Amino acid sequence: MNTNYLYLIIFAVLIGETDIEVNLSSIISSTTYVTVLLGIAATKAILIAMYYQHLRYEPRSLSVWVILGIVIASLLMSLSFVQLSFHSFHYASP
Amino acid sequence: MTEQLAATAKRWLYTTNHKDIGVLYIVTSLFFLVAAGLLAMTMRTQLSVPDNTVLTPEIFNQFVTVHGLLMIFWVLSPFAFGFANYIIPLQIGARDLAFPRLNAMSYWFYLFSGVMIIMSFFFGAAPDLGWTLYSPQTSFEFAPTIGLNLGAGGLILIVVSITMSSVNFLVTMFKMRAPGLKLSRMSLFPWSILVTIFMMLYAFPSFLAAVLLLYVDRAFGTFYFTSIQGGSLLWDNVFWFFGHPEVYIVLFPALGIVADVIPTFARRPLYGTKYVIGALVAAAVISFIVWGHHMFLTGYGILTDKLYTVTTVAVSLPFDVIVIALIETLAMAKLRLKAAALFTLGAVALFVIGGITGVYLASVALDYALRGTYFVVAHFHYIMVGGSIMGLIGGLYYWFPKITGRMYNESIARIHFVFSFVGFNVLYFPMFLLLDMPRRIATYSPDTGWGLLNTTATVGGFIFGGAQLLLFYNLYRSLRSGPPSGPNPWNGWTLEWALPSPPPAHDFDTIPTFSDDGTIHFKGTAGLPNGSSPGNGIGEPNGSSVGNGYVALHAEGLSPWPILMALSSFIFFLGLTIGKPDNPQPVSYQPFWPLIADGVILGIISLFGYSRERFTVHEDSHVESWPFRQVPNMKLGIWTFLGAEVIFFGVLMGAYFFVRTAAPTWPIPGTVFEIRNGFAMTLVLLTSSLTAIMALASARAGNRNGVIVSLAGTLALGAAFLYIKAGEWFTLGGSDVFKNYPLPATSYFITTGTHGVHVFAGMCMAVYLLANAVKGKYVNGDHVTLEHFGLYWHFVDIVWVFLFPLFYLI
Amino acid sequence: MAIANMQVQFEDLFWLFTYLAVLVGVIVFGLMAYFIVKYREKPTSREPDDAPILGRLPVPRGHARTVILTVSLSTIILGVLIIGSFGSIDTILSTPPPCNIAVAQGANSPVIYNCSVLVTGHRFYWDFNYAGYPNRTITGAPFCHDANCLFAVPQGHDIRLNVTSADVFHNFGIIAIKVKADAYPGHINNIWFNAETLGNYTIQCYELCGSGHATMTATLAVMPTTQFVSWFNSTIVH
Repeated sequence: MNTNYLYLIIFAVLIGETDIEVNLSSIISSTTYVTVLLGIAATKAILIAMYYQHLRYEPRSLSVWVILGIVIASLLMSLSFVQLSFHSFHYASP
Repeated sequence: MTEQLAATAKRWLYTTNHKDIGVLYIVTSLFFLVAAGLLAMTMRTQLSVPDNTVLTPEIFNQFVTVHGLLMIFWVLSPFAFGFANYIIPLQIGARDLAFPRLNAMSYWFYLFSGVMIIMSFFFGAAPDLGWTLYSPQTSFEFAPTIGLNLGAGGLILIVVSITMSSVNFLVTMFKMRAPGLKLSRMSLFPWSILVTIFMMLYAFPSFLAAVLLLYVDRAFGTFYFTSIQGGSLLWDNVFWFFGHPEVYIVLFPALGIVADVIPTFARRPLYGTKYVIGALVAAAVISFIVWGHHMFLTGYGILTDKLYTVTTVAVSLPFDVIVIALIETLAMAKLRLKAAALFTLGAVALFVIGGITGVYLASVALDYALRGTYFVVAHFHYIMVGGSIMGLIGGLYYWFPKITGRMYNESIARIHFVFSFVGFNVLYFPMFLLLDMPRRIATYSPDTGWGLLNTTATVGGFIFGGAQLLLFYNLYRSLRSGPPSGPNPWNGWTLEWALPSPPPAHDFDTIPTFSDDGTIHFKGTAGLPNGSSPGNGIGEPNGSSVGNGYVALHAEGLSPWPILMALSSFIFFLGLTIGKPDNPQPVSYQPFWPLIADGVILGIISLFGYSRERFTVHEDSHVESWPFRQVPNMKLGIWTFLGAEVIFFGVLMGAYFFVRTAAPTWPIPGTVFEIRNGFAMTLVLLTSSLTAIMALASARAGNRNGVIVSLAGTLALGAAFLYIKAGEWFTLGGSDVFKNYPLPATSYFITTGTHGVHVFAGMCMAVYLLANAVKGKYVNGDHVTLEHFGLYWHFVDIVWVFLFPLFYLI
Repeated sequence: MAIANMQVQFEDLFWLFTYLAVLVGVIVFGLMAYFIVKYREKPTSREPDDAPILGRLPVPRGHARTVILTVSLSTIILGVLIIGSFGSIDTILSTPPPCNIAVAQGANSPVIYNCSVLVTGHRFYWDFNYAGYPNRTITGAPFCHDANCLFAVPQGHDIRLNVTSADVFHNFGIIAIKVKADAYPGHINNIWFNAETLGNYTIQCYELCGSGHATMTATLAVMPTTQFVSWFNSTIVH
């Protein structure tokens, strides 16, 4: 029954984090808010992956496998983000 | 007679044998090669003289687009993977691929997707805006023909095919190698395929997302690629993020073939094998950070210009290592210049020219003049035709004796090489000198002075194209009446040469083993292993053994479900893409519901049949499986698939970030999308993850009721999620949200919609599992299916965990 | 022949690349040809000791130093090319200051033209709006070569082009000047050039934009400044 309690605890943490996410906007500024939100989402994802998807107890190679995909996905996002920040959009009317 | 015909048809339509599938891929890709080649010859005719009228601009544009699409997606990779399918399991000592029925499905998806592209010619117009499909000319507004929809459908189908293959080959190559065959001991062809499938796994989901978004823009009037707030640039990024690794994907297998063939004919080992492998890996990694060089002139700023110049120039370094290694291999060699050697050496020479000119294009400064010109066309044809096709033809001559058991005619093959090589250069070298001529123009005026070079190129085109007739003639004639080749005509060392030509249906009697002292042990004498008589490869002249021997050895190897699954998907996508625009005010396309319904029904039947079929795949226990020794094949396959899904959703979220950053304003959180709904959906989905894991825990504990309740709970919660979402969609859909907030609405509907489809798919699985659980399954140590379901379901939950804050809270 | 600064810069850089490319090509092809000829199979050839045979893994072969040498030499060559490219791109992307050409005589002061042109791509023609003069647009037409779609600029001045599109993704390129810009809606790309030699130069579209892609031509006319002023007045300033 130990693992079942663990699942329930993780669940409670996830719900709690969601509650925090929703109520946080009134407390902190908007730019920090985005970072914190993404951070919370990331921790939720890691908890689900580690415990519900069992990655914590699987061979390390599997986690590496997963992280590889995440790294490549973030490449697109970060490099296009870099592009965008130097870009300037002129809404030229034809 | 008809009985034999029926047996042959049944074998080829229902096969799951990797060798058969390999042959299917090779033959089909050669068909598409001829088709795309004929398109090219017609274009060259049109362009041979100025102001020509052989093709109208509309037709020309369709030809140039379909030529590109067919060659890249339906020829180069499938041709290579035909070899990979046939040869890799033999070379690594595996019995077949990890998932044989999935392999068959990959092939049929490939075939039907190609049919869809060809069909587009007969439905108004084929796609006609280049294989690169730039926005917004591909939008409904500027290109209202159905052809592009069919093109999108065909592309989606082939991406599904490729993703299935990637998962299959990755699991196979990591988990099914012969004892002692460590990854470091694999030869270059398997290594090149391994690197290629990694690139495929991570690049194609981006393309899938791009094509999906394009289709949705066209069919439902969303604004991803049509918005002036960066729509063109978004397509450029998402397409080329895939597009650049793609051009390495179509090259690497040929490089692998070249790197195995040259040592065989030079009678010396490959020089610097580990460096060549390292170079392939390095190039594959770097290929993901160079895509901006296709966007040099989009105006993204000098810093990004310089960054991409450096990364693109850097990616040429691994290729330098590979070329030097290949040339050094010839030192102190005893080089037999058979056809395979000629073609692979020719491929190296042409690849060098292509590669050098690639460095020109890597310079952002030079690109300001060379962009969109025939210099670019020449560069990539030197690589893709000169490097890839010539290398693959070398592979064809190399493995033809193994696959068919017969030897081709060497003299005709050598003439084929000479005419191909000369014709190729006469065709493409003038294009470097046409560095002022724009690409994809249907004609040009005489005062440009481009006539002479174009005429020369066309002459070269006819020589090159005509020379391929020699190939087909030679192979066809040899197939029927060539002399027997024996098992190892080239004196090669890789494992396929240890088998008879053609190999028996079951490949090795006993899997070879690799010792640490470098020897490879086959059962029987150390040289020729199997005592068994040649099996039933395609060259088998004895018709009766097709019926008896094959089926008897592989009785469980035939399955009708792969082709039926592919057919149902084809019908479904045909229904989605064949519908005509609305009448009388066309703003989007009407789906053709009869076909969609047919596709869904056939799909459900096929899925059911597939999952209930008793198909046994033998997993040998004493094989090399680093680093996944303790990970079962199916689980590894699912995690691999989830890796692709990460990229897919990552790109969707990236597109959302992009449009949001580019947009001047965005609605304040809570004003358009109710936070309450998002919060509720998050709670529901998180709870469903809990019930899913509880189902697994109950199964492990042998608790049948627990499994049933938990699965039912998961199903109910999934339904609740979709119910809330449907309510939201209904409310928003009736409002003016698209008019007032086009980009927020677009990104919201598409991203959450795609996620919703994933939830629905999960629920379908849950229904099936629940039915089984009620019957008493999963509680007797067979809970692994529940575990696999959980992996998928939790992933879907994780995606929502990110979507919720991104779409509702910020 | 020097037509414009961008063209000269391009050609210089292109020739740098080509000299090095030919050098590398000669070495690589030379080595390859030498090996193929020298080590091809002859009746007297011996089977090498480490010839790959069935039943054995190939004997490892090769020195790290070859790889290091190759990578080092390549890096040096590529470094030279990068430096050259960076110098050129700095020039291409550094927009020069406006010029001051007195054109018509206005009410109180001469009207000044600042050498800036807004180029807009359409399906399937280009139009040129001489910046600062909202009503002063030369509208092209498909395959237009005559005086009606002549896009004139004064010789010897820094001409700044702001390139965009009214509909789809085009690319604006002046062949002889070797300068191009992507033209897509919602964005303006800035390029510039300084033309030395008088004459008419063809403009084409370099991104497939539809059935009229091949016909999206126009003509750049480089005129002496005085002639440009009278052209400007008769064509642009009414």
